[in-house]
Amino acid sequence: MSKKLGPRKRSRRAASKGATKATGRGYLSVMKSGKKSAAERTKAVSAVSPATADDSELASLMAVLTDKTAPIRVRLAALQSLGAARFASPAFASNQGDYIAALRKVVDDPDHELRQRVLGILAREKDGYAQNRLLEGLKNKDKALLPPEKALQLLGYDVHANAYPVAREIVQNPPNQQAKREALRLLAADAASAPMFEKILQDKNESSEIRQIGAAALHALKPDSLQAHARAIVMDPSESDDIKQTCLTALTQFGPPQIGEDKTLMDRVDQLSTRGSAKVQDSARELRAKYKR
Amino acid sequence: MLPVTGEGAETSEAEVAALVDSLAASGRQADLLDLLREDHAIYDQRGGAAVSRMRGWVLLALERGGITQDALLFVLEELESGLDPYPVAAAARALRAYAAPSEAFAPFLLQALTNMAGHDELLSFEAYGEYAVDSSATSPIREILITLAWVGPAAKSVLADLEALRDQPGVLSRRLRPDFERAVSAICRLDGKDDDNCCKLPEGLRHVFSWRSDSDASGSIAQTLFEDQTGARLTFPDIFHGRPTIVVFFYTRCDNLLKCSLTVTKLGRVQALLRGRDLSGTIGTAAITYDPGFDSPERLRSFGGRRGFRFDSNHRMLRAVDGMDTLRHHFRLGVNFTGSLVNRHRIEAYVLNAQGRVVCSFERLRWDEQELVDRAVAVSNEHESAAPMSPASHMCAPTPDHPNCSAALLRSLPSLALAFLPKCPICWAAYLSAFGLAGLESVARLPWIQPVLIGAILINVASAWLRGRGTGRMAGAYLAGLGALAIIGSRFGAPVAPLGLILTLAGSVLTALDRELRLPRVRTVGKE
Repeated sequence: MSKKLGPRKRSRRAASKGATKATGRGYLSVMKSGKKSAAERTKAVSAVSPATADDSELASLMAVLTDKTAPIRVRLAALQSLGAARFASPAFASNQGDYIAALRKVVDDPDHELRQRVLGILAREKDGYAQNRLLEGLKNKDKALLPPEKALQLLGYDVHANAYPVAREIVQNPPNQQAKREALRLLAADAASAPMFEKILQDKNESSEIRQIGAAALHALKPDSLQAHARAIVMDPSESDDIKQTCLTALTQFGPPQIGEDKTLMDRVDQLSTRGSAKVQDSARELRAKYKR
Repeated sequence: MLPVTGEGAETSEAEVAALVDSLAASGRQADLLDLLREDHAIYDQRGGAAVSRMRGWVLLALERGGITQDALLFVLEELESGLDPYPVAAAARALRAYAAPSEAFAPFLLQALTNMAGHDELLSFEAYGEYAVDSSATSPIREILITLAWVGPAAKSVLADLEALRDQPGVLSRRLRPDFERAVSAICRLDGKDDDNCCKLPEGLRHVFSWRSDSDASGSIAQTLFEDQTGARLTFPDIFHGRPTIVVFFYTRCDNLLKCSLTVTKLGRVQALLRGRDLSGTIGTAAITYDPGFDSPERLRSFGGRRGFRFDSNHRMLRAVDGMDTLRHHFRLGVNFTGSLVNRHRIEAYVLNAQGRVVCSFERLRWDEQELVDRAVAVSNEHESAAPMSPASHMCAPTPDHPNCSAALLRSLPSLALAFLPKCPICWAAYLSAFGLAGLESVARLPWIQPVLIGAILINVASAWLRGRGTGRMAGAYLAGLGALAIIGSRFGAPVAPLGLILTLAGSVLTALDRELRLPRVRTVGKE
C-alpha cells in the first residue's frame, strides 16, 4: 500500500527524482567505458529513453557509435537508440549535424552490418557523401563498401543521385543476377531507359523475373507501350506462362476500356481461360470478367 | 570563354573546381557568375549532389572577390529556396562579402534559418568536395547566424521571429547557442547610425522581374506539340494564342518543396485571384513540366489537383511530347539535366501575350501572385486595346515599373507650355497679336500660369528621377532635369528654350521606354 504524502514531501521527492536524472548519469560513463563488459555497456545504452534523450545522452550515443574499439554489439545498440531517438526526441533535430557527421565517420567500418546500416540511413537522407562512396564502389570494386546490388538499392532512394549511367553499365555487364535486377529496378524511374525495357520485355531469352521488372518499368514510364506489348505477348503461344500471366494482369488492371471490343484478343483470352497453367487460367478469367464478355 | 564545352560530365568535378579557383584568383567575377547559370554546360549530366557542390564552390569563389549586384540575386535565391546545406552555407557566407548590410537581407536569412532547421550539417569549405566529420566544423545554421550578426541592427525586422526560435526545439544545438546569442546581440546593438541605405532595395533584387522584347513565337515553337493532363494533344498556338497566359515550369519529382510544389500551389492561388476578378476566361494559366518523359497526364492531373490547380480549356498542365529543347530555347529556361531528369532549375514564371510571345518573366526569387496577375492584366488590357501588338508595344504596359508612354509624354506638356510663354517685349507683341486673332490673349496674361507651369515641370522631373531610381537607369531623369533648367533659364533671357524643349521631350520618352528599346536584348540575370 502506498503511503500518502503531503504536498511538501511530494515536491521534495519530485525534486530528488530530477536530481537523479541530472546527476545520476552513471550509465553514460558505463556505455563509454572500455573496462565494462559488452553486456553491461549494451544495457547502459538501452537505459537511454529515446523519447527524452537530451543533448548529452545523444552525444554519448554518438561517441559509442564512432568508437572503433567498442564491441560491435554495443555500437549497433547505440545506432539503434539513435535511430529511435531521431523520431521520438525533440532534442534530436538540433543534433542532426553531429549525427550525420558521426554516421559518415563509420561508413568505412570493418563490420559489414554496421557499414550497411549506416549507409542505408545516409542514403535515405540523400547524403552526397554516401552517394559518392557508393558510386565510387560501383565503378571500382576495390573501393566498394557494399555488394553492388545493395549499393544500387541504396542509390535508388534519390532519383537525383546520378546512378543511371552506372546502372546501365551494370545491366550490360552484370557482376551477378541480383545486381542486374537492382540496376533495372533503379532504371525504372529513368524515362530514357524506356526503349531498353521494351527490348527486355520482348526478349524471350531473359528470365521471367527480369521481364516482369521490364513490364513494371514500362508501366511507369510508357504505359501505352506496355499495353501494346502485353497484347502481343498474350497472343503469342510460345510465351512462358509467367510472362503471360503478368501481361494478362497488366491488361486487366490498366488496359483501356475498349479492350472488350478487341475480338481477336478476347478470343485468345477465352482460350487461355480454359487451357494452360492454373495461374494463367485465373488471370484470363479475371480479364474476361472485367470486360464482361 | 571558359574551357568547358560539350557535356559537363566530360569535365571532372575536380577540373571544374580548379577552373573556378583560377577564375577567382584572376578576379574574373563575370566568368564565375556565368558558371551559376543553371543551363551552363558544366552542370549537364551531373547528379544533384554534384551540382550542389559545384554551385557552392562557385559562391565561395565569388565571395573572395566581393559579391556584386549581379551576384546578389544568386546568393539570395539560394538562401530563400535552397535546401542543400552546402550551397546554403556558402551563400550565407558569400553574403558577408557584399558591400554593406541591408535590411532587405534579413528576411532571406530568416527563411534560410527556418529551411535549415532540422537539416543542419557539418561542412568543410577547406577544399572542394570535402565533407566534415569534425564537430568544430561550420554548418549552414552557423553561417546564417554569423551573417545575421554581420547585418546587425539592420536585421531588427526579424528579431522577434529570431528570438522565437531560441526556445523552439530542434533548431539550435548547444554548439550553436553562442553564435545565436552573438547574432541577437548584434541586431540589438544601438549603433546610432541612421543609414539612409539600410532600407534601400539592393540593385541586384531588381533583376527578379524583366521585360522581354525579342521573343518570337513563330518557327519551331509553333510546331511544338503538347499533351495536357487529360492526354489531349495540342500545338503551341492551340494553347497560347488568343489570350495572355501565365506560364510556370515544374516537375513532379522535384524534391525541393520550396520550388515546384510551391510554384504549382501558387499558380492555383493565381487562378483564384483571376476568378475573383472575373478574368479566368481572359487570362490563361499553364504549368509545363521539365520532365515530360516521366510526368504522364495522370501524374500531371494528380500533382496539380492536389495543389489546388483547377483545370479547364484555359488552364492546363502540360508536357512537351517531343522533349524540352524547343521550350528551353523559347523561354530561355534556367534548367539542366542528367539524362532526362532535372538536376537543377531556378524558379521561373512568364507572362505570354496573345501571340504566345514571352513578354515578361520573374526569375529566381519567389514571385508574388498578385504582382504576376497585375502584369498579366496589363498585357491583357493592351491586347484588348491594341491588337495585334507590335514587338515593342507591350513595353508601354501601364504598370508601376512600366508607365504608359502617352502618360509620360503628357507629363512633358507643362515644359512645352512654359517654353512657349512670352519672355521679351517682341515675344509679347508676337504672341498677343497671334492670341488676339484667336481671342486667347487673356490666357497668356494670367498671373498664376507661370508658377503653375514651373510646378508641373518640377513634378515631371521628380517623376523621371523616381522612375530612374526604380529602374536604375537615370539618363532620362538627367535629360528631363537639364531640359527643365534650360526652360527656366530661358525665362531669364538665355536663348535655350528650344534646347530645353528637346531635352525635356527626350528625357520623358527615354524614361517611359524600357531598356529593351535601346538594347537588342533584355538583361535577364543568368542568361546574358
